[in-house]
Order: sequence, then C-alpha cells, then structure tokens
Amino acid sequence: MAQVVQIIGVTHNPVLPGIFQDHLDAEPAIREAYDNFALMRQKLAQARPDVLVVVAGDHLNQWFMDNMPAFVVGKAPVARGPFPHELRAHKLSAYQARVDVEVAQTLLREGYANGVDFSYSDEFQIDHAFTMPLSFLRPEMDLPIVPVWTNVMAPPIPPARRFYDVGQAIRGIVDALPSDQRVAIVASGHMANSVGGPGMLRIRTDPVPEFDVTMKALLTEGDAEAVIREASWERLLAAGNGTAGFLDFVLLLGAARGRRPSYVDLNSTRMTTASFFLTWDGAEDGTR
Amino acid sequence: MSRYQIDKVMREVAHDEAAAAAFRADAAAYLAGRDLTDEERAALLSGDYGALYRLGAHPFLLWAFTRVALPDGGPKPAEYVATIAPLGTPDFAT
Repeated sequence: MAQVVQIIGVTHNPVLPGIFQDHLDAEPAIREAYDNFALMRQKLAQARPDVLVVVAGDHLNQWFMDNMPAFVVGKAPVARGPFPHELRAHKLSAYQARVDVEVAQTLLREGYANGVDFSYSDEFQIDHAFTMPLSFLRPEMDLPIVPVWTNVMAPPIPPARRFYDVGQAIRGIVDALPSDQRVAIVASGHMANSVGGPGMLRIRTDPVPEFDVTMKALLTEGDAEAVIREASWERLLAAGNGTAGFLDFVLLLGAARGRRPSYVDLNSTRMTTASFFLTWDGAEDGTR
Repeated sequence: MSRYQIDKVMREVAHDEAAAAAFRADAAAYLAGRDLTDEERAALLSGDYGALYRLGAHPFLLWAFTRVALPDGGPKPAEYVATIAPLGTPDFAT
C-alpha cells in the first residue's frame, strides 16, 4: 500500500522570487518567507517521497472559458512550465518534471468511484502556481509529479465544501494505491489577494487583512467546518478578486482529513500579498 | 453583453507578443469580426480600462492586458485602482 508521507501548502506568489533576489531584507517577513520555503524543502526531502501530487489553480493560462474544467488531472508523460509570458513578466525559473502517469490514471479511474469526475489532459503546460513552489520545494526536478488543477479563477467556481471533498477523495485514492509509493501532496494558493481588482493596493495600508488572521486561526485549529463556512465566494471576493486561490488550502485540509496541521506560518508585509505555509508532517497524519 | 469575447481578446493580447503587436498596430483590424457590442468594441479600441472593468471584464486579465496593450506599460497601480475602485465589484462571470 502507498502512504502519504507529507502534506505541504505554500504560496505561489510570482513576484516573490524577484523580491527574494533584490529585497530579501527589506522587511522581516520577506526573509521569513524565504526561510519558510527552505524549511518546506527540508521537510519534503526528509519525508523521502517517490511522487508529488501537486494541486494548484491555473491563472487562465492553460484553461479558459472556452472549455473550463473544475478539477483536472494531467496525464501527459512530462510537465513543463511556466508560460513564456509569465517568464517575461516575473523572475521565474523554468521547471520540468516527469509525470507519474499511472498514479494520474488511478486518480481518474478511482475518482469516478469516489464521487469526483475529474477532467483530464494529455497536452498542457503548468503555470507559475506549480512551477514557482516546485522550484523552491524540489529544485532538483528529479521527482515525478501528478498535476491537479482547480478552477479558482473563472466563476462559478466550485464551493469550498467541494474543494474539501475532492481533497478527501484524493487522499483516499492515494492511500489505496496498490504500489508501495511514498506520496507527498503539495498545494499552492493565496491568502487575501487582488490582481486587477479594487483591493490591489490594500496590502500597503492593511498588510494583515482580517481574512488572513481568521483563516490562519481556523486552519491552525483544524476547524474544517468553520473554514468551509467562512470561505464562501462572497467572502473570498470581498477579501480580493484573487482570494479564491485560498480554496486550494481547503482542498489540502480535506486531504489531511481535517486534522490540525503540524506547522502554520503567515508572513505579512506591505510589499506584496502575504505568504502562507502549512504542513501536515507524516507522523501527525498517519504513518511514515 | 459579450464578456467572454472581451476576456478572449485581452487574454490573447496579454499572452502572445505577436497578438499584442498586431493589436497595438491596428486595434480596429484586430477586433474586426469579433462578436462584441459597440460599447465593448469602443472600450477596447480606446483602451478605456475603466469601461471594460464596468462591463465585467475579468480583473486579472484586464490588469495583464493594460500592461501590454496601453502606452508606457499601462497605468500605474494607483491610477488604475483610482479609476476602477469607484465602480465597485461588477460581476465578471461569463
């Protein structure tokens, strides 16, 4: 039987690599976020995973409203990214990883039996929501991944409870894999975040939004019902037009079966949207 | 109302350098044959991002679009926010 050996949630803010490069000590929270990425990399390495299931929202780069899926499993043999226009706009690194096609196909097949009709793709690129975290967490690019996209951009997006349930389903399917693989589940997302919306500069005057404080506290307690209740579309939108990216942390909470995380940290700054990190280390969420 | 068509144009221009060059060179030609209302077409042609926002353009795409479609890399963040904030949060579902 396979086992989940580590669960990690991180920010995927595409401006952070440039800020780390040029302004690492501009504010304490920037250095703290940088150190948190190093800690996440260490935790992942210590868990010795064979494969990474990576969950993130695409930013209308790969998927668009001509045919918008809610949850997608990528099953092409190789995943590459980010997109050229993302490389032009930000100081991002290219990333390439093999895809564990067998695990991807099992997610699809068993998804049907577990209440999730995943879409799937045999031709795709992964955007910064995947490549930015992976560049920090596993710069070696030596582990196969299974990309799972979520629609957090194009309303109507699935409700928070659906994200939680899909996380639980993914966990159940991974636990039941017939292989002896050690699996890490990684998700990237956002706390309060606005790009192109009226809240875009709010961080400069309100670097610790109430949304961030509330959600950090509820996640720290592992209070899944409260997280789901508080993460309504209306509340997410009020906190910033990009805040629905938080829902991938709700999915992760489902994958952890609603348990209290081992580690939670929020690094708030006036320079950019806050960085958020959370983990469920193996011993606190099953066997390792 | 053709929010999807607005988003489609903005996405093409924001993502593809050749599309951005074509749009900047002759926006009217670029938009010819697109299923846009007169108001939507005029807003895209004049770079009136406030009007596009009010019409329900996707905010994330709108910001990216202004970076490459408008002169001088588009409005500064403070100017952009000052223009759209009074318009509230229009529905941007397609």
